[in-house]
Amino acid sequence: MTFKILVVDDSRLARMAVAKALNAVQPDWTRVEASNADEAVALAKETTLDVALVDFNMPGRDGLQLAAELRQMNPTMPVAVVSANHQEEVLRRAREVGATFLMKPLTQEALGTFLASAVARLTGKA
Amino acid sequence: MNDLLDEFLLEARELVAAATANLLALEQKPNDRESLDGAFRAFHTLKGAAGIIDFTAMARALHAAEDVLSELRKGSGAITPELISSCLGCVDQIMEWLDYMTSHGQPPADAGARADEVVRQFSWASAARRGIPEPPPPASVEGAEELSGAAHALLQEQIALLSDVTAEDAPARIASAVTVAVNVLRGTGRHAAAREMEHLLVALQNAADRTAVVSAIENTLRRPHDGTDEGVAAPSPAQDTAPRTLRVDVERIEALVKLAGEISVVKNALGHAVKLAQDSADKSLAGFLADQHTTFERLADELQQSVLQLRVVPMRQSFQRFPRLVRDLAETLGKPIRFLVEGAETEADKTVVENLGEPLLHVLRNAVDHGIEPAARRAAAGKVETGTIRLRARREGEHVIVEVEDDGGGIDIRRVRETAADRGVMASEAVQALSDEDAVSLIFAPGFSTATVVTGLSGRGVGMDAVRRAVERLGGRVGVESRFGKGTCVRFILPFSVIMTRVITVETAGQVFGIPLESVIETVRVPTDRVTPIGAARAFVLRDRTVPLLDLAEILGQRSAPPARDELNVVVAAIGGEVCGLAVERLGERMEVMLKPRTGLLSVMPGISGTSLLGDGRVFLVLALDELLR
Repeated sequence: MTFKILVVDDSRLARMAVAKALNAVQPDWTRVEASNADEAVALAKETTLDVALVDFNMPGRDGLQLAAELRQMNPTMPVAVVSANHQEEVLRRAREVGATFLMKPLTQEALGTFLASAVARLTGKA
Repeated sequence: MNDLLDEFLLEARELVAAATANLLALEQKPNDRESLDGAFRAFHTLKGAAGIIDFTAMARALHAAEDVLSELRKGSGAITPELISSCLGCVDQIMEWLDYMTSHGQPPADAGARADEVVRQFSWASAARRGIPEPPPPASVEGAEELSGAAHALLQEQIALLSDVTAEDAPARIASAVTVAVNVLRGTGRHAAAREMEHLLVALQNAADRTAVVSAIENTLRRPHDGTDEGVAAPSPAQDTAPRTLRVDVERIEALVKLAGEISVVKNALGHAVKLAQDSADKSLAGFLADQHTTFERLADELQQSVLQLRVVPMRQSFQRFPRLVRDLAETLGKPIRFLVEGAETEADKTVVENLGEPLLHVLRNAVDHGIEPAARRAAAGKVETGTIRLRARREGEHVIVEVEDDGGGIDIRRVRETAADRGVMASEAVQALSDEDAVSLIFAPGFSTATVVTGLSGRGVGMDAVRRAVERLGGRVGVESRFGKGTCVRFILPFSVIMTRVITVETAGQVFGIPLESVIETVRVPTDRVTPIGAARAFVLRDRTVPLLDLAEILGQRSAPPARDELNVVVAAIGGEVCGLAVERLGERMEVMLKPRTGLLSVMPGISGTSLLGDGRVFLVLALDELLR
């Protein structure tokens, strides 16, 4: 079963890196990209998304605000917030909005694990 | 891997520019939250980028800067020039690495040691600021292969850190400890163990189970490294996604520009064909051709316009290095200076923007060095001690105005007159006769200044002649206004777009002229005995058509060339729908030149459309044949 994943990061390099990792772990998935929260929300409105991977540090609204919005639009969507910094504040807020926290740079392994748990949740096998 | 590296270098340079701009803005306005956030985000994203390509030394250096900025964002500590200098020093190091990577494709071998140096620069600042438990830098294990003792100690430290966690901060502490452990393991080549540790982090995501982490770290400490790690799997090629803006190689654009130029030449030839067809018997063909020609003309013009638009870039590309340069120069000279940039988004042709840097730098240097007075003298004159230099750009019709204005001491016109007379720029009486406004422009005169002589002078003028020439090469003009004691404003008036004209050069009467290719049909050699006199004029037959032959030297009112050889070089041109041959002494080359509109004496001379420069720097006139032969 394949899903559609939204990747949000203001760095094109970071999006490219995610694309590589994603191609290795879930090559069949469809990927859509946005470089900020506004673009991401617009995308989420026009297409159905299954999973979202959101950078924490972005100009404008940050990844946590976006994660909260995405979860509000689709409460069952697995969302991960990616950040290079472990700040308890970020972790706490990620938990509050029901998002998973992932470390940056995102490794293939960490992405694979997150996506596996997302699939389990989406297919009700969790 | 190469596409990632390319993107890294591109993005990193953009981020370096953003970091620099924000740091400088922050120094000017220490309370500006936006600049602080901007600087922080630039360093943070740079660190992320370094992490993606596994350049751990760079990530470490950036982490140190990011830490300091992060503390500042929390409101602890003041923004001092020293701190900004440390951050800029870090940026300099990054730039050096980026340059190295651009040419070598990989980071330099001494990157680790250099990163240590950067971190040391920051340690005083962060040590003073660090009062709260903060996770150690995730990427702090560069060169860990030779520090197994240090790696061991780091892992032990994580266990110790986890011993006194409270429920509230447990997840953050655990995550941070795992990250450090993962990095240590990676750094020492234990990839498999690192992966296990990472899985643990994901599994424990929302739980506060520190015992599992502690035992996992303890396990890795006990377990000897078997050296059988396979390393990191090679990344598979990724599909690229469409970006919002397209980055195109300049050469491809140049090719397109050239093509558009060539199309307009064909367009003119087509016009000529229409004329020929109208003269012939078949009128339906003429009508058809004329319609096609009109359509073609419109399309060719549109193509040329949109192609020229491709070459338009914002001034920012040339302006962005100046805040840093002015800051460093002001610091060296010990003058407090506020530097303001306005209108950096004003657009102009790429050629203009790119070639503007050098003359602008000259003018800015002068403003800092000679324009702005030392603080003490400003205070004595009742001025604020901090001098202000403004760099401004704006569009005015077909022109772009760039100004450098300072509130310094202004130009001493009396000294300018003296210097001009002394150096023989102009006769003394003539100099005295000039109005003040005209006299101040003498600083642009050739021979007015040389760097060695003028630095001792109270005024300015270092290389202003060179500045004028550089701006004129771009088809622009320079001007200066100055009020003694109040300040100086140097103004560049530049063309918005640079029209490149394709010409063929010809030589006649010992002089080089350019003839625009758009009016040239072909060049031919005509045997002298094929030229027949028709009344007072001459003509020759070209493919069954009689073409009038004119001598370019005669038209230009110069002595006709001696009728030497048995062959004439003839440029066949279409002028106002008429075909005629122009005899010249020598045919030169076809080239693309930037046409400088005629000014001064030339502007009243008909038949000259402007001037341009040969490769060797000689000026030549570009002829307007239709005016010349009217």
